[in-house]
Amino acid sequence: VSDDVVTPAGAGTRRGGTLVDQRGLSERAHSGGANSPAAIQILRVLRLLYTFVQRFFPHILLIGIAVSVLLVYTSGGLTLMGEQTRNALVLGAIYALIAIGYTMVYGIIELINFAHGDVFALSGFYALIIGTSFGGAVSSLATGHGGGGLVLGLVIVFLATMAVAGFTGMAIERVAYRRLRDAPRLAPLITAIGVSFLLEGFMLIKYGPDNVPTKNQSWITGNAVSFGSVTIEWKQIFVVAVALFLMFALGAFVRATRLGKAMRATAQDRNAALLCGINVNRTVSATFFIGSALAAAGAIVYSINYGLIQWNLGYRLGIIAFTAAVLGGIGNIVGAGIGGFLIGVIYVFGGQLAGGQWSEALIFAILVIILTFRPVGLFGVDVTTRA
Amino acid sequence: VPRLGLSLLGFRKGSQDAPRPRGAGTSTFWILALAAATLLLMGWLLPWFVEPFSAGVGFSPMDVIAGGPVSIGSILVYLLGLAMLVVLLSPAAELRARVRKRPIDPRWDRIRLYVVAAGLVLTIVIFLLYRVIQEEPLFGPVDSATITDSAVWLTMVGYIVAGLAYGARSWVTNHPNAAFAGVALPFAALIPLMFHQAPDFVFWAASSLAIYTLLALGLNVVVGFAGLLDLGYAAFFAIGAYTCAALSSPKYGLHLPLWTLIFIGAAVASMFGAVLGAPTLRLRGDYLAIVTLGFGEIIPDLATNNVGNLTNGPDGISSIDQPHFHLLGLDVNFATSPAWYYLALLVLVVVVIILLRNLEHSRVGRAWIAIREDEVAAAATGINTTSTKLLAFAIGASVSGLAGAFYGSMVGIVSPEAFSFSVSVAVLSIVVLGGIGNIIGVILGSFVLTFVIFWVLPGLNEWSTTVSKTVGVPALGNIDFTRYTYIVYGVALIGMMLLRPGGLLPSRARRVELESATESESLAAVQGRA
Repeated sequence: VSDDVVTPAGAGTRRGGTLVDQRGLSERAHSGGANSPAAIQILRVLRLLYTFVQRFFPHILLIGIAVSVLLVYTSGGLTLMGEQTRNALVLGAIYALIAIGYTMVYGIIELINFAHGDVFALSGFYALIIGTSFGGAVSSLATGHGGGGLVLGLVIVFLATMAVAGFTGMAIERVAYRRLRDAPRLAPLITAIGVSFLLEGFMLIKYGPDNVPTKNQSWITGNAVSFGSVTIEWKQIFVVAVALFLMFALGAFVRATRLGKAMRATAQDRNAALLCGINVNRTVSATFFIGSALAAAGAIVYSINYGLIQWNLGYRLGIIAFTAAVLGGIGNIVGAGIGGFLIGVIYVFGGQLAGGQWSEALIFAILVIILTFRPVGLFGVDVTTRA
Repeated sequence: VPRLGLSLLGFRKGSQDAPRPRGAGTSTFWILALAAATLLLMGWLLPWFVEPFSAGVGFSPMDVIAGGPVSIGSILVYLLGLAMLVVLLSPAAELRARVRKRPIDPRWDRIRLYVVAAGLVLTIVIFLLYRVIQEEPLFGPVDSATITDSAVWLTMVGYIVAGLAYGARSWVTNHPNAAFAGVALPFAALIPLMFHQAPDFVFWAASSLAIYTLLALGLNVVVGFAGLLDLGYAAFFAIGAYTCAALSSPKYGLHLPLWTLIFIGAAVASMFGAVLGAPTLRLRGDYLAIVTLGFGEIIPDLATNNVGNLTNGPDGISSIDQPHFHLLGLDVNFATSPAWYYLALLVLVVVVIILLRNLEHSRVGRAWIAIREDEVAAAATGINTTSTKLLAFAIGASVSGLAGAFYGSMVGIVSPEAFSFSVSVAVLSIVVLGGIGNIIGVILGSFVLTFVIFWVLPGLNEWSTTVSKTVGVPALGNIDFTRYTYIVYGVALIGMMLLRPGGLLPSRARRVELESATESESLAAVQGRA
């Protein structure tokens, strides 16, 4: 008996639906008070509501987003809507880059890598160190030598930071997760929380509790284009371009290379992959490397765009990005990309409508709602079919 | 509900408790022996460390050296040291014999017991002698000799523990819980006596320890008994605290007494526990964890955003009442003396432990364990999984709400940042460290972790400042060890999960599981689910 029948992550599947009915019946049979007609009516209404939300979740969400965009348009006009769309895309690109790491790791070993957000924050500090090391050579290269110098500086920072972050991710997997791969599901999740706190504690000790300004925010300056009164800066275009480029590169990698094939195979069935001669440990390591490297790229563009980094930045950003991964269907790389942009839109427009202090609560509410009603996300693969 | 009440009071135990496996309590002996050694060492070393910095004069090793080897007091102290040495070294000797698989001479048990008894008598004699010399009243508070007193108390408790470990060995092995209660309760009650002249912070630290113990006991119901990982546990703590704050502060002009508030706080929190638990019931373990995490973030967010003007936003609700009444002619004022909080919390912790133990061994407790082990099988045996899981959430939350109400009254101000994710993780670390599903283990875990967080880390700060001044390395003094809190949680979680998944004191069932893990692993490999 496998436990996926009992506790389906995809309660959205029909199998989950029949299960709901059985549970409801047994509940009525057991508790004496629930036999009254009113209670049965209430249960029926609740179940209807549940099925409704479960089935029409994507529609509700998309209509909600469209309505909020319209509301912003009616309240602030085209300028506000344009500006907020720009902000949402920039933020969404960063969320997407982090979300891919979550979704890849979950797809391959079914672990919610809680430390992933902190790897993101740590990568911001890596980028800070690499940018200012060598006597500030990279930094001065990027600011003082025209276009060629800037490109060279960016390439150095990106490659070095992504490599270091990738190895950090691999090390975390090796030390904290690999031994628990066959343990009960909650054990690696608890170590992941431990790793998260370890990383946060390390950053707190090293860099203190305050915001740390990153010096690379002056690298890319100036406005690119302006539509009416909405101006788009070069660095904002850069963020989105980097995110899209890396996502397409990753897609090609997973689709076309040997290692990518091994990843897909391992995600589908680890034991079968093992039987086919795939080195599962190496594949999982590679997954962690790629996920962490993408988070590092996200951290660099974050620091270029916002100019700040903080020791506990990764925690909330991590949860938001995880929401994006779940929204896109966990295990689905393309879905994580799209989910990232959607969450960016929800964050920015929801914050505009309800007040900025509500953005995060809104995202967490969405997280709870998706996981409760539709754990497969918008375009998720059915995780329950996997052993 | 009436059935649950009977379970809580221990009337619905049933007779299906598995017989205790032979030798199950030997680890209790080792823990007692180690505890005795630690207490004796602490009692012995405390004057060494603290006496040079304080004005008090006590029977520290310093005095023995300074007073010359001839005085009666110093001879007694030497004897005491000898007795301590025997107690300290004997577990090592026993371990050595055990490792070499040689039988231990049974005479040793008796000799050790005599030595322990002699040590206890010696300690008391020295204590009384010292009081006579200092011209202080024999019992009761003194003005000067705090450190010495605490050292003496620690030594006495140490000898009593050692006596339990060595003398009543077979009894301890058969009644580990009674032995634990017999040691822990007097020790916990003695803390105020030991430090009767100490500043208030001792009581604050001890009360925080008690509050963390309550939280961990509650989380243990959810995570340990029912196997549902709750990462938003601080939310219920917050709900209890805000309930207390709203009902006993100038905010609404209501001033309910704390004794009713803890019940109201527990009731409100358990209601929220059931409501927030309901949507998660069908979810798989890790998804459930994330949903609870989401709730745990939303609730402080709601408090920060001051929904319905209930919470005063980021400022929080302040000037919460503190109990003040007269009992038997005694002026009991919680505001001026935090010792009352400690004592009240101690009573509360004991009551909660008794109730939860009863629940664990009742029908409900067995249902939780059945669900934790295999939900399908549990449902097939007729357990209503929905209501059983909800009950776990509700009871876990109610303990948290209880702790929250007390916390609100104790601290006097309740604001959202006190209920962040790190609180949930701290409580989770306690449970994981102590032993998931084992009440005694959880208490031990809370003691160890709060000791490290509230005593060792700040102590290291002072120590490093002093050392850096004497050695002349300013960098050492600049290290803020209190920032290592997160590292401590992280190391506790990772280390325990990797090295000792059952925790410091694994529960009996968990130990059996771990021992038979190799069997089930091979089974899983056969089934292709590894």
